[in-house]
Amino acid sequence: MPELLSNSSSSPSLQASAADDTSNMPIKSPFESSIAKPGHGEVTLSLLPPSIPTLTTLTYKYPLKLLTRTPGFVPQHSAVSAPSRPVHLYLLTYGGGLLPGDHIDVSVTLNPKTRMVVSTPQGSTKIFKTTETNANEKHHRSTRAHELSDMSQQKLSVQIGSEAALCYLPDPSVPFKDSRYEQIQTFTLDGATEGDERSSLCVLDWVTQGRTSRGENWDFELWRGKNEVWSRNKMGEKKLLLRDSVILHDEAHEIYPEDGQQDAARLSEIRERTYPHGVVGTLILYGPVFDQLSSFLMHRFTSQPRIGDRNWSSSATPAESLVDSPSGDSQNVTWSASRVRAGFVLVKFGAEDFETAKHWLGDLLREEGSVVREFGEEALFSL
Amino acid sequence: MNQKTNIQDITKEISDLESRLQDAKARLAAANGPKEKHDPWPHMQNGYLEKGKDILSTPIHALLLLSDSALPLGSFAYSNGLESFLAHNKPLTRSITPLASFRRFLKLSIASIASTSLPYILAAYRHPEQLETLDNDMDASTPCIVAQRASVAQGRALLSVWERSFRWTYASKSDDGITATACKSLDAFSDGIKSTIGTADDIGPKGHFPVLWGVVCLVMGVDIQQVAYIFMVNHAKAVLSAAVRASVMGPYQAQSFLASKELQDMIMERIDREWDTDVTDAGQVVPPLDLWVGRHELLYSRIFNS
Repeated sequence: MPELLSNSSSSPSLQASAADDTSNMPIKSPFESSIAKPGHGEVTLSLLPPSIPTLTTLTYKYPLKLLTRTPGFVPQHSAVSAPSRPVHLYLLTYGGGLLPGDHIDVSVTLNPKTRMVVSTPQGSTKIFKTTETNANEKHHRSTRAHELSDMSQQKLSVQIGSEAALCYLPDPSVPFKDSRYEQIQTFTLDGATEGDERSSLCVLDWVTQGRTSRGENWDFELWRGKNEVWSRNKMGEKKLLLRDSVILHDEAHEIYPEDGQQDAARLSEIRERTYPHGVVGTLILYGPVFDQLSSFLMHRFTSQPRIGDRNWSSSATPAESLVDSPSGDSQNVTWSASRVRAGFVLVKFGAEDFETAKHWLGDLLREEGSVVREFGEEALFSL
Repeated sequence: MNQKTNIQDITKEISDLESRLQDAKARLAAANGPKEKHDPWPHMQNGYLEKGKDILSTPIHALLLLSDSALPLGSFAYSNGLESFLAHNKPLTRSITPLASFRRFLKLSIASIASTSLPYILAAYRHPEQLETLDNDMDASTPCIVAQRASVAQGRALLSVWERSFRWTYASKSDDGITATACKSLDAFSDGIKSTIGTADDIGPKGHFPVLWGVVCLVMGVDIQQVAYIFMVNHAKAVLSAAVRASVMGPYQAQSFLASKELQDMIMERIDREWDTDVTDAGQVVPPLDLWVGRHELLYSRIFNS
């Protein structure tokens, strides 16, 4: 990991020495960081002729840090003609997590034909506990403004041009006990294109029950994750194509103010609503680069054994013969895949724990091979 | 004759204005500080109609029509994930009775339908002119094809009932006002559905049930609190009726569930919670429910469509 980080440093001198890095970094102004607001970051990726991925903008400000790197990987057997080399963007925060009140806002523009892999090299996004600044306010239903002030928030908005592709397979969010967090990810596609000229995206969003080593089991107060995909046509009109929104809210927290004894006694509402899973997540797939993967997952889903079917050929006991998923699939992952509107494939899953989900998804994506073929093995870093 | 229609028009207009006034008051109350309980029966005092209130000036007739299980929406064909839930939670451990398991499902189902659908119902009622956008956004927010088919089938059935049966009586005679807007928007929407070719990638108007429910109820003069309440009760009825047919419980037990104070309180609590939720903040609060509904297609034997 240290090696990887030094390669991706945006300092021009290191740039030249990094053997596998050929993207032309913009010359950094020493005053540039004063342009961005705290926690804000902006990245623009363009393809300069003949086919050189170039970052034309890269700014960020504390507590956010953005690093980029272009490994030597060139897609060989791509689903589309003349694919460009993927550029990696690493989202980092100081301390490796989000504190209450931290607002991260990253805006990425992928110009036509570019490819980007966004990842979280620090591992899971740790959401730290919300500190109680004013205990009295707890009793009232909090206003939106108050809600935001002591909440961590992460926004990511990505504009994906025609034939451009985004691969975003991060580590899961790990919300600590009593934390409050909101994540809004918006992806805007070029709506004027069709067929192989469409933008492509692969986005994973998952959340775990917390630090299991400390016995946390969905003990946070609020985790809200929203993923939206919009299309924008030439006139600039936007249309919502897909919205995936999950709200895990311990509503009883509002009713019972912070009180150790009561807290321990009552059952977390989130635990009840996610039972029996220790991790839940969503994978969103769209566009020509991920068409094969989409079909593969749809096929894999529909060919799962029927639930409640009896395995007449085996002599197993009736309880065992109620087949669930014997053929190599993990027994502990419950998932569904659906071809929803406008050509999107949406995969939803729930698993016993993070490791189970990670192996299940990693195995599926490696077996099918599109992600590795189009973006390199490193795109599956978190899986 | 002429005078008679005049009187009808005026009565219509008065009830129209009254419902708008109530809606505006409700919105004002919502905007102004502390939330009060949203009484679904504003005309009632202690369970009885207010003295002096004519039964015809309240939308009771429309309410009875809309809450009737004989309303031809085909809701009986959907278990809203119950059938799949039962299959996924089999066999039950000894400590959990089928009834306890069902009670859990009902609670989750009500919380989930409220967080995903109520914001759309309320938005459609408050802004009927945005019917098409709301329908598009609801379609975009429906995570699986099983749930999408169920919602669209019932929504289109409601639209047909409106056009073929209710329109003649309830269509607004005046040219302005929110109900007239709602009526126009229903007509335009219906035309839109008929003129789209239903290909898989098509993102034209679909006809989602919650959105159309909000607008049709508005035109029929039902109060916004009641619109939300009846939707939730109808949902509970559908789940309970599915439970009876899936042999989870008997019909008397199902009725006692329906009649219970627990269910009423649960519904009121969910309505209160979602009253001011913007449609952009609607979302799934019970993630496994999406999995159960999505995996309904994988059941070996099915008696329901969802």
